Amino acid sequence: MTARRLLQIALVVVVLAYPIVTAGSPVWQRLGALVLLAAISASAWNIVGGYAGQVSVGHAVFFGIGAYSAVVAFVHLDLPPILGAPLGMLVSVAVAAVIGVPTLRLSGHYFSMATIAVGELVRVLSSTSDWLGGAQGLGGPAMPRTVFDLSFVSAMPYYYIFLAVLAGVLGLTWWIERGRMGFYLRAIKDSERAARSLGVSAGRYKLYAYMLSAAFTSVAGSLYLCMFGFVDPESGFGILLSVKILVMAALGGAGQLFGPLVGALILVPLEELSNSLLGGQGAGITFVVYGAIIVIIARFLPSGLLSLLERRPNAPTKAAPVNPSPASGHAD
Amino acid sequence: MVELSRRAVTVGAASAAFVFATDATAEEVVKIGAIYPLSGNSASAGNYEKMAMELGADLVNKGDPELAKILPLAKGGGLSGLKGAKIQMVFADNQGTPAAGQNQTLRLITEEKVAAVIGAYQSGITLTASAVAEKYGIPFLNPESVAANLTERGFKWFFRVTPVAADFARAYSAFLKEQKAAGRKVDSIALVHENTEYGNSVASVIASAFAKDGLNISMKVAYSANSTDVQPQVLQLKEKNPDAAIFISYTSDAILYAKTMKEQNWKPAILIADDGGFNDPAFVKAMGSVCEGLVSRSVFAAGKPGSVAAICDALYKKKTGGDGLDDVSARALQGFLVMADAINRAGSTDPAKIQAALRATDLKPDQLVAGYDGVKFDDKGQNILASTLVTQLRNSQYVSVWPKSRATHQLILPYKGW
Amino acid sequence: MTTTLLLQVVVSGLLLGAVYALFSSGLSLIWGMMNVVNFAHGEFVMLGMYTAVVVWTALGGGPWASVPIAAILIATLGVLAYFLLVRHIMRGPMLAQILGTFGLALFLRYGALWVFGANFKTLPDDLVGHSFILGGIRFEGSRVLAGVVGLVVTVLLHLLLTRTSIGSRMLAVSEDATAAQLMGIRPQRMQALAWALAGAATGIAGALIATFFYTSPTVGETLAIVAFVTVALGGFGSVMGALVAGLLIGVVESLSAFLIGPVYKDVIVYAAFVLVLWFRPQGLMGTN
Repeated sequence: MTARRLLQIALVVVVLAYPIVTAGSPVWQRLGALVLLAAISASAWNIVGGYAGQVSVGHAVFFGIGAYSAVVAFVHLDLPPILGAPLGMLVSVAVAAVIGVPTLRLSGHYFSMATIAVGELVRVLSSTSDWLGGAQGLGGPAMPRTVFDLSFVSAMPYYYIFLAVLAGVLGLTWWIERGRMGFYLRAIKDSERAARSLGVSAGRYKLYAYMLSAAFTSVAGSLYLCMFGFVDPESGFGILLSVKILVMAALGGAGQLFGPLVGALILVPLEELSNSLLGGQGAGITFVVYGAIIVIIARFLPSGLLSLLERRPNAPTKAAPVNPSPASGHAD
Repeated sequence: MVELSRRAVTVGAASAAFVFATDATAEEVVKIGAIYPLSGNSASAGNYEKMAMELGADLVNKGDPELAKILPLAKGGGLSGLKGAKIQMVFADNQGTPAAGQNQTLRLITEEKVAAVIGAYQSGITLTASAVAEKYGIPFLNPESVAANLTERGFKWFFRVTPVAADFARAYSAFLKEQKAAGRKVDSIALVHENTEYGNSVASVIASAFAKDGLNISMKVAYSANSTDVQPQVLQLKEKNPDAAIFISYTSDAILYAKTMKEQNWKPAILIADDGGFNDPAFVKAMGSVCEGLVSRSVFAAGKPGSVAAICDALYKKKTGGDGLDDVSARALQGFLVMADAINRAGSTDPAKIQAALRATDLKPDQLVAGYDGVKFDDKGQNILASTLVTQLRNSQYVSVWPKSRATHQLILPYKGW
Repeated sequence: MTTTLLLQVVVSGLLLGAVYALFSSGLSLIWGMMNVVNFAHGEFVMLGMYTAVVVWTALGGGPWASVPIAAILIATLGVLAYFLLVRHIMRGPMLAQILGTFGLALFLRYGALWVFGANFKTLPDDLVGHSFILGGIRFEGSRVLAGVVGLVVTVLLHLLLTRTSIGSRMLAVSEDATAAQLMGIRPQRMQALAWALAGAATGIAGALIATFFYTSPTVGETLAIVAFVTVALGGFGSVMGALVAGLLIGVVESLSAFLIGPVYKDVIVYAAFVLVLWFRPQGLMGTN
């Protein structure tokens, strides 16, 4: 127990001290911030995709809403971008309700496909809106006017802001996980039919999880805009972004508190470092390596990296059916 | 010079892991970072630009005797202003995303300690990448992004060599008015553009310029560049049959349009293609035979034998194994040469001195690869002498036909196609 | 606007739709057999297209040579993917499939960039005869060939699954693998066979599309989303459903691009797709 406690303290110290230790290298310092930012959106996705088992492949919708809200606050209202974040959360929750009510009735892959379609729909529509800058996108403040523009040269302030937000998201997830809602969500994930027969209002709880998840993904989008200062339909609503969020959570371990963070810890440095080392040669080797590593992890640890820790010698291995029978189209 | 060598040594030590040193003896090098789409949807253009800049570095480092007669920079043996320091290009992949563009620019500046950065093709990525250079006070030179807002940000370290969309619109407008004056029918014009940043921005600038000049755009068709099919659009055009059509497309859709127009057997009397995909060497090679007489714009035309453009074109062909310079690669090479010239005159890798040298840039047309009227930056960092040529596709090769002063060939209309 | 013109739009939509059906049928088969969505499907099509490009540039062969070669190559790729990857990730949660096949997609897409370069490739446009006019409507040889082969292959796949003993064994495995095993059917063999068939259909599709489309490493991305929507709209596992949905999407796309505007054609297709799922969550031809 004490050893475990010591390890936990050591981890907290490392996390807190990271940007100070790496102060000499802006690239490494920034890498820390990028990991945290990715972990925020992946952790937000985890609430609905991991715990409730509703695999959304369209979370870029909410990320984009967050990013666009922030940039709109600057462009149209002349406010610091970050003040658009609460607006983005509200819009995201509303949009999540509109998308969720019809699509959450679908089960399995049908839900995933519907979220892909909705994501593409939003991307195309956003590129036709002049108010949102159309296909050219919108840029934040070119030069920081006040500190509230959150436009810094050093990545250190971003690191601590992202860390605080991530802690908030994880804290809330932990609270949900242990409460009644967590219990319901797990029941729905295991068997929606069984959950319903026990009197769980499956539809309602799935929607709650979806809206909550949307709100936090939107915050990640707003923070992204503050750091990078630009968003266009592809970088805000692109399908690749949706898939990356999902892959990060799945790689670490979906439905586990720290799964998305572990996924981000592996994938973001992998992507950045391989691009730094190999990208300049211009043959796409970066993504060959990146793809191969994802394949290998999926092949040997289909439940994510965190499943490594769970394997205990005597514990009975969970026998999954070799061939799960195809899910029906209907959720009920 | 003490300053330079100290810098070069720390650079070498700091980035030993990244650099593939060509020579064991610590040769003095000036590093220039270049950030381009080497993967993703624009990888084709990015890789051509990379080769153009590698050619540029070879010209400075190894030299070319013929070119050196016109361009002192190309006499070989490195930068004379820095005691023969060699230029080393450090390329980074922006992966077609603004985020990667910014992350890699930071790496080039802080890890590779480059003296200056060149990039980044897509306007949105140029926007985010140059913001990092601005914060660090490193010169950022953009050879090819055309979004108007890039030079409106009050940046001190940002320089753009290329003409912008408004220049293209002016050229088309003047060109079409000349055709009208010559008795050709230009009463209805179709504007067909892809629906991302490039197509939208250029189309809207053309539309407003034409409105001012009394040219009638009778139909506007916006489409998505990754369309699987463009038959309906071509049928629409066939039905309305405008006198002239202007296409603003990437390579993928340019290929589909060229194929589909032949399939549906429709051609306007004047077909203008705004650079982009229609100038991609892959397009010219594959579709050139069915697009005879296509009018385009380019900053590049090989010109007379013995000119800077013609020599560089030949050298580039040797490097790529057949593909000559085109609009994109010529602008990249020109951007590189402007930067090399400025560093050479600065006589130092000190960013402020390079910035001052860039501001003092004054290149004449006969020293250029690109067909500009010169290179001279205004306070915002825009090259005020940037201009464009109108070209025509003849036997799968673009030749300059307008303005008359720069034309090497006579314009032939109507559009022949296949 | 003349009727002929409108008819021309519909005909091009139908021919396009038949191609959509062809490159979606493999995805549909896998989905139906194993409840696996192959996110690398677009890359399978892309490799089929490159096969056609290589066969032409290296051997000067047209579709008559490239189609069988592509069918064999992509079928082999499918079987390899099944034994090396899919077989294992099926034991994990559904997410593992997305993870694994998406990783495979990146690997193949950028592997192609590495091997073939970023440049766009095209085949000569007269490789499959010239266009002809029938009743005032223009038909392009390459598109007609692709459309007709699309119809034939999809129908053959459907017949194989519903009318032959090997088809009923495959369906038995997809319904209940354990029960099928008790009846002496080897599930893995049947599933590998499904991947081979799907790969062959996808390879054929790629080789034919290459005759009128451009080929580039990222082309699969563009095609994959269409395939996902086609399959989900048609109803999971229903090859005939994919055919109907493909034709429908082709015509809706063509008409809406012609009548409303090309930018909105995707909006209309996606909106229609979500609407159909709202009323028929099992897709057009899926069984509940």
